[in-house]
Amino acid sequence: MIQAKSLTKRYSGRTAVDRISFEVEKGEIVGFLGPNGAGKSTTLRMLTCFLSASDGTATVAGFDIARDSLKVRQVIGYMPENVPLYPEMRVREYLCFRARLKGMRYRESISAVAEAMDTCSLQGVERKMIGTLSKGYRQRVGLADALVHKPELLILDEPTNGLDPSQIRQARDLVKELGEKHTILISTHILNEVEMTCNRVIIINQGKIKASDSPSTLIRRLHRPGQVSLEAIADSGALGKLRTIPGVSEVTSSETDDGWTRFQLTSNAECDVREPVFALATECGWRVRQLEMRRPSLEDAFVDLLTNEQSETASAD
Amino acid sequence: MHAFQVLFFKELRSFFFSSTAYVVIALFTFLNGWLFVGMVRAMQTHASPGSLIHNLLGSGWFWMGYLVLFPLITMRLFAEERKMGTIEGLFTAPVRTSEVLLAKYAASIVAYAAILLPLFLFFPAFYLITGEAGAFHSGAVIGSAVGLFLVGVFHLSIGIFASSLTANALVAAMMTFAMVMLHYFLGFLQNFGIIPDSMWSEFINYFSTVRHMEFLTEGLIDSRPVFYYISFSVVLLACTHHVLESRKWRS
Repeated sequence: MIQAKSLTKRYSGRTAVDRISFEVEKGEIVGFLGPNGAGKSTTLRMLTCFLSASDGTATVAGFDIARDSLKVRQVIGYMPENVPLYPEMRVREYLCFRARLKGMRYRESISAVAEAMDTCSLQGVERKMIGTLSKGYRQRVGLADALVHKPELLILDEPTNGLDPSQIRQARDLVKELGEKHTILISTHILNEVEMTCNRVIIINQGKIKASDSPSTLIRRLHRPGQVSLEAIADSGALGKLRTIPGVSEVTSSETDDGWTRFQLTSNAECDVREPVFALATECGWRVRQLEMRRPSLEDAFVDLLTNEQSETASAD
Repeated sequence: MHAFQVLFFKELRSFFFSSTAYVVIALFTFLNGWLFVGMVRAMQTHASPGSLIHNLLGSGWFWMGYLVLFPLITMRLFAEERKMGTIEGLFTAPVRTSEVLLAKYAASIVAYAAILLPLFLFFPAFYLITGEAGAFHSGAVIGSAVGLFLVGVFHLSIGIFASSLTANALVAAMMTFAMVMLHYFLGFLQNFGIIPDSMWSEFINYFSTVRHMEFLTEGLIDSRPVFYYISFSVVLLACTHHVLESRKWRS
């Protein structure tokens, strides 16, 4: 659906996007991830023909973004960052305007708008002025705008920015649902959202692609020491005994408020020490109320990638 | 063409569905009505070679009100879209930049015509009430309409150009007003020690709106002002198009 080949955007004295190449297949939901100022929005703006690339090319649905920009824009439904809308227009009026601007006839537009409002649950507010709507509703109007002309590809730039937790959950479900019909490229910095909705993640930092893989592979690739925590009432030599378990490299303990002891075990990445810990506890007759391994999340993968990056550049300096 | 239509009607709606449009129309009509009455009174006592409309449009008072119209009509056109960020939605829709530009321009011409319309109703109304047809003649009215159309089209293109340069509607308005005034007063340089009928005087005359209107309001439609205003408008629209496109590569 999207093929970007060494796409570059240079501003005077600064390279915002530096020769990035990636592909998005039809039917995928791809998360575009990166810290603020990494070049996410700039990349999306180049793909939607709002900005032109300083170098490199990209095709969307087979059309070149520089030569066939009208056709490219026809297949894309784009929701810009911060969802700009006309505050003086009414919801239905606005969506009709957008549908017709994107080439629909008046009759088509009426059913298309009804459908889009239905998908985004906007029925209650169709006659309200956009300026009076809450942030959550505005976001939904923006989304309805993006999909009103039934585009093959949806590009959403930080669609959950500024929403409250329950709205974020709704938006996430909606994106999942839309993923059945559309190819979606979604930029965000909310990581668990990506972890739950996307088939693939592209991590970008300082204008370069750092990783491009499924969330689970990215997490697996993390070479993090395993973290196991144990809450128990144990004898005084417990700390020493836990240290003797093969694979355990470090143990710390702390008292909880209610008289239990919390042990934090650090082990090698590869071995799972939960079973030997449990075996030891039963052998010594400790009372155990919690034994848990903390799994690394996409957030860890993300932070890891970025901190590696920073230390690399620091050592290079 | 389809996108042009959609955008044109959207712009018209946003103009006519706002109260400012009617305030502007009412104020401008009131101002001209006052001027009209004053002019009629003056012509009762002093003989005048020109017709009523010629004298009306030749008055500096008319121009003071008239030149303020242009920043009011055009300041929002692109500046507001840029400020709100809606320009991104606009240009990522499958529409050509030229379609957007021409739709906005055409809508601003219609808005301008709507503001001027009451002025042209004064004359038939005057005739109906007084039965006095001699105060104006069709040649003068047609010539004046053509003149105001040309000058208006030119000034609107100045306004739309200014509006594309900035994200601040107020700045766009001030730029438009400054440019429009500057152009208007270019014609008055004549009065500052320039020898009549010299080369400089001829040169300045070519730019002088006052001079153009002097002939047009008498019903004398010359091709020179037509060419002058239309070609400058085209140049300014081309500049605006270029400014709008420049967002793609400018840093």
